[in-house]
Amino acid sequence: MNIYDIIFYLFAAITILSAFFVVTTRNIVYSAYYLLFTFFGVAGIYVLLGADFIAIVQLIVYVGGILILLLFGVMLTNKITNVEIRSGSIQIVPAAVGVALFAGIVMASMLNTKWKNIETAMPSATTQGIGLLLIQQYAVVFELLGILLLVALIGAASMARK
Amino acid sequence: MIYDFFFKLTNSNFLADLIQSLLPLFIFILPFALFAVLFERKVSAHMQDRLGPMRVGYHGILQTVADILKLVQKEDIIPTLADKPLFNIAPVLVFAGSYLAFAAIPFSSAFIGSNIDLGIIFIIAASGFVVAGILMAGWSSNNKYSLLGAMRSAAQIISYEIPTVLVVLSVIMITGTTNLLTLSEMQTGHFWNWMIFGGPVMGIAKFIFIPIMIINFVIIYISTLAEVNRTPFDIPEAESELVSGYHTEYSGMKFAMFFLSEYANMFAVSAIVAALFLGGYQSPIGYLGNLFGVHWLIPIEQFFWFTAKGIFFVFVQMWLRWTLPRLRVDQLMALCWKYLIPIAFVNLLIIGLITVL
Amino acid sequence: MKEYFKNAWSGLFTVFIGMKITFKHLFVPAVTIQYPDERLQLPERERNRLYVNMDDCIGCDQCARACPVDCITIETVKGLAGEDLGKTSNGKRKALWVTKFDIDFAKCCYCQLCVFPCPTECIYMTDVFEFSELERGNLIYDFVTLTPQEREEKKSNYAKFEAEKAAEKAAAKAAPVNKPIDNQETPKQ
Repeated sequence: MNIYDIIFYLFAAITILSAFFVVTTRNIVYSAYYLLFTFFGVAGIYVLLGADFIAIVQLIVYVGGILILLLFGVMLTNKITNVEIRSGSIQIVPAAVGVALFAGIVMASMLNTKWKNIETAMPSATTQGIGLLLIQQYAVVFELLGILLLVALIGAASMARK
Repeated sequence: MIYDFFFKLTNSNFLADLIQSLLPLFIFILPFALFAVLFERKVSAHMQDRLGPMRVGYHGILQTVADILKLVQKEDIIPTLADKPLFNIAPVLVFAGSYLAFAAIPFSSAFIGSNIDLGIIFIIAASGFVVAGILMAGWSSNNKYSLLGAMRSAAQIISYEIPTVLVVLSVIMITGTTNLLTLSEMQTGHFWNWMIFGGPVMGIAKFIFIPIMIINFVIIYISTLAEVNRTPFDIPEAESELVSGYHTEYSGMKFAMFFLSEYANMFAVSAIVAALFLGGYQSPIGYLGNLFGVHWLIPIEQFFWFTAKGIFFVFVQMWLRWTLPRLRVDQLMALCWKYLIPIAFVNLLIIGLITVL
Repeated sequence: MKEYFKNAWSGLFTVFIGMKITFKHLFVPAVTIQYPDERLQLPERERNRLYVNMDDCIGCDQCARACPVDCITIETVKGLAGEDLGKTSNGKRKALWVTKFDIDFAKCCYCQLCVFPCPTECIYMTDVFEFSELERGNLIYDFVTLTPQEREEKKSNYAKFEAEKAAEKAAAKAAPVNKPIDNQETPKQ
């Protein structure tokens, strides 16, 4: 067990524990901040996998963007001066069924996939490869995603105007 | 590289890593904060025709040491109705965010915390932690002023990240790299190879780049100034309306953590500007080490040049603080959305066209 | 469009003008002084803490009466015939022992009204202005030069003298007016 294994288990523990708390904690703001650590742990695992670009995009998009928006939303929609912002759980039975189904699918795909076992090598830069793929092979998908985001943006703006 | 030096010294991967990652904190952030706090007080005093701290040591040079001693001794007050866990984590998170940025800052060719390929993007990503920490501090204090300050601060940092990223993108488009060490190496030679003067491009493109890069430099300087909440963009901690923003309720060492991270951030953004536009650690006039053939001197000289550029920009930040009054919120947003972002976009387009052609 | 660029340019340019001004001020010598080490020369007629020169005080109580906030309290005892109380510097004879001359600087409003009535010019303003105290009681200044025992002695001397005088008077009166006292007593019965 070398140091990278230890770091991996650390990040994995952070991710799983904080994800667990995101779901179980009743305080919305707490779960938002547990989400921060979940994203952080996932980014760490990406780094260990040699996917530096995805790790950093994960940080920029999820921590810098979505999480902050989430916090803004939580703080602006509730009574902002009140620390006691709580959420409850509803419809436990359908949720449990859904979770069980999803867990089954994930487990099945995990067990049935033939994982590649590559010897650990010094990770090389991935940015250029990702950029080339996005512009050349997956250009249409990339553009479509961009349009989707634009549509969402325009929709949000028009809804906010009403 | 400094890593090899420590590896030879300690003969252990882990220790060398640890020492290298702690170096920026102990040889840089802490002494810099000590220096910068006094420097700020002196600069502000002399700009207002005052003298500033004069009592502790010669012309008050030990004033910050005394202040830190005071802060260490202070009682750690946690408001009764505050959210205790978040209140305690917030300063750590904010400081971790600003310390994270130092990992990718190239102090000299031999001294960079981590030579990651996405250096500049990593630094931008790290500022997300600062925003989260600031929101955490503001909310957990359970104080209206803190919350308002945190909200303003987060909104400001997020909106000014856009022009910063656009300018960074234009630099990336010219150089084709996001690695800050490579970026600095590309600007080697004399000062006309710096990015602000068009970078290491030759021919007619360079002359088109020069005005664009100067405009870009101004844009990134303004937007990074806003990102570290300095005057004239200090509405998050506007003393006259919000007491002191998100750290109103903090005292003692926790307050010191915020203070430290504020000054660390000031240097971090100055360092980014220096690394992107002013040649990073490159000397404008050549090295003494090359002149005398002493090669180990060059990294030290580079460190000197880098800190000199960084401290110069920190000085300009202080200079602006005593020149400009605080912007209103609408002026702040107008500056960002009406001026900085469109101009940055136009520059990006022009640079894109030129680099493609 | 033209206005947009003009705005942007003037926004940038005026910042540089401002920066030029502040940069000049960086080298202007400081206008402040290092106060406890250096002090400004106070104007000649400044009004600060009062001082009473007790050698000249004749205990006339005029300053206490002039005081608008009643911060001066004076008690005097008459000097006895045999005692020499000395003279003031402008040649007046002192006739009263001043056994109490308190000025409460917590009340004093530094109006200088007490200074003018003084016939011997013994109460005047000094240039001392740093006399803060931790307790308000410490701001009551006692100017009397006599020791507490002396004050008691003067008081008791005078009281004794008075008593003697009264006794003398009583004795003098007692002889002729013995009966009327009895007369006075009789109607009561």
